[in-house]
Amino acid sequence: MRNTIINRITKEAKSNKGIFFISGDAGFGVLDEFKANFPERFLNLGIAEQNAISFASGLALTGYKVFVYNIIPFILYRCFEQVRNDICYQKLPVTLIGIGSGVTYAPQGVTHYSVEDITIARSLPNLTIISPADPLEAELAVKFSLSSNKPVYIRIAKSKEPKIHLKLPENIDKPILIKPGKGLAVLFHGSVGIEVMNSIVNIKKPIKVISVPMLQPLDFDYLKRQLKGVKTIITVEEHFVEGGLGSILADWILKENMHFNLVKLGIKNEFIHSIKNNAGMRDKFGISSEKIRTVILQEITRISS
Amino acid sequence: MQMKELDKKLKTISDNIRKIIIEVACSSKSAHVGSSLSCVDILVSLYFHQLKINQNNWGRRDIFVLSKAHGAMALYSVLKLKGFINDKTLKQYFQNNGSLPAHLDRFTNKAIEVSTGSLGHGFNIALGMAHGFKLKGDKRKVYALIGDGESQEGSIWEAALFAPCLGLDNFTAIMDHNDLQGYGRPTEICHFEPIMKKWEAFGWQPYRVNGHNFSEIISAFKKPHNGRPKIIIADTCKGKGVSFMENEMKWHYYIVTDELKEKALQEICKGI
Repeated sequence: MRNTIINRITKEAKSNKGIFFISGDAGFGVLDEFKANFPERFLNLGIAEQNAISFASGLALTGYKVFVYNIIPFILYRCFEQVRNDICYQKLPVTLIGIGSGVTYAPQGVTHYSVEDITIARSLPNLTIISPADPLEAELAVKFSLSSNKPVYIRIAKSKEPKIHLKLPENIDKPILIKPGKGLAVLFHGSVGIEVMNSIVNIKKPIKVISVPMLQPLDFDYLKRQLKGVKTIITVEEHFVEGGLGSILADWILKENMHFNLVKLGIKNEFIHSIKNNAGMRDKFGISSEKIRTVILQEITRISS
Repeated sequence: MQMKELDKKLKTISDNIRKIIIEVACSSKSAHVGSSLSCVDILVSLYFHQLKINQNNWGRRDIFVLSKAHGAMALYSVLKLKGFINDKTLKQYFQNNGSLPAHLDRFTNKAIEVSTGSLGHGFNIALGMAHGFKLKGDKRKVYALIGDGESQEGSIWEAALFAPCLGLDNFTAIMDHNDLQGYGRPTEICHFEPIMKKWEAFGWQPYRVNGHNFSEIISAFKKPHNGRPKIIIADTCKGKGVSFMENEMKWHYYIVTDELKEKALQEICKGI
């Protein structure tokens, strides 16, 4: 997804002289083309996250469309107040490209995980949050941000994520129906989507599968129509189980007085001390394809009985 | 205009601004009177002499960012005299259903360039603006006023470290060094001095002036950047112009009562 996004911005920057790219000392081997082609519109602002965000806001105030690239904790946590006051409060066209969603970087350690970023980003008005599941959604996410004049946060894993969609979906600003079905719907966001896709292989029952890349604002009316005929929703996310998509839906279900059963799958809200790679972590926290499959089969039995 | 005449003109404006600040502080019952008074002469030098700001050529104006936004009353008062804020709006400062908050919101008035309030933000945003203008070949200049207490923020030094690499000779920071912050003195809380050497070592072009002396402030504006961003350390007095507020920490917070208002206004009028 990373390359999809950077390549698209690099291509766009050829005709759009208003694009500026800031790295916070990340992007080895990824940003070289942009840097070589547009040296005057590229800055590595070093290991100084607060300044990077404020500086980006200043550039935006002079008319630039600014992209800031870094690992999620260093684009959203370390400099949260700069994102809040300088970008979101001032409603500036700055896009934050955060890499290393969830436990992508496992076992680098908790400092490099981003399992609470959706919770944090959701607290910011004016901020559009996009968590693409595959390179095709990433393509749409960057297209959206290029046409937006407001703050955007794009949350991606890293590179070489497999495609989930067979063809480019139409829109990124609405939940995307991947597989029609009834009774049970599985909703997800981000790169963990591939686990969901693998989990439903050879299940005969018609399970509905929906990717929800845009988490804020979420088109609830559209989603409500998509969920027609659904009794149970399973949410899957590589994020703390409390505070992400599952919580967004729980709030919505309560507010609208709807009657879905909601099963939230995600990482338990605790600091992670286990040493495992990404696949191992997904398995430990119940969001690997096998573990998701088990929950799906249980819920199918529950609905049928 | 001769310096002497200019000095006289600016002094009269400053006295008027100080009177407005006292009136507004009293009617609004808001704090930060001392912080506002300390930077009046700097703001007057900028807005009534240095900055190119023309309503008819708005897109070409110089930019001023009040990074120490708790001095907002001083900026609002200046903008009133400049015709950007009307009397009614200023009177509703800090009041229910008014439109001017105690810290700056850029959506309240077109002359408020940046939303600031949390320290160590405006300085960095202003540097981004300076770089943006420079890239576009735009000759507009950018000025930012920071506090000496604000200079304890790590973000200030993040920017201080890298800005000289960009050769931002269109950027001038002014530090309102009144040596009083919320609960102490910068020179006692941290190893503040030698402040000139610090900025110079970071690659800046530093100058030091008496922040209440117009000719010193203005001549520092005219001094060369030497290809670098400039910082003017302006030695000031918190609460300047009102004897019982001068150099008193409590006037970071105290509210101007009706009685104190009269006393303060009399002192300022004597100045005129």
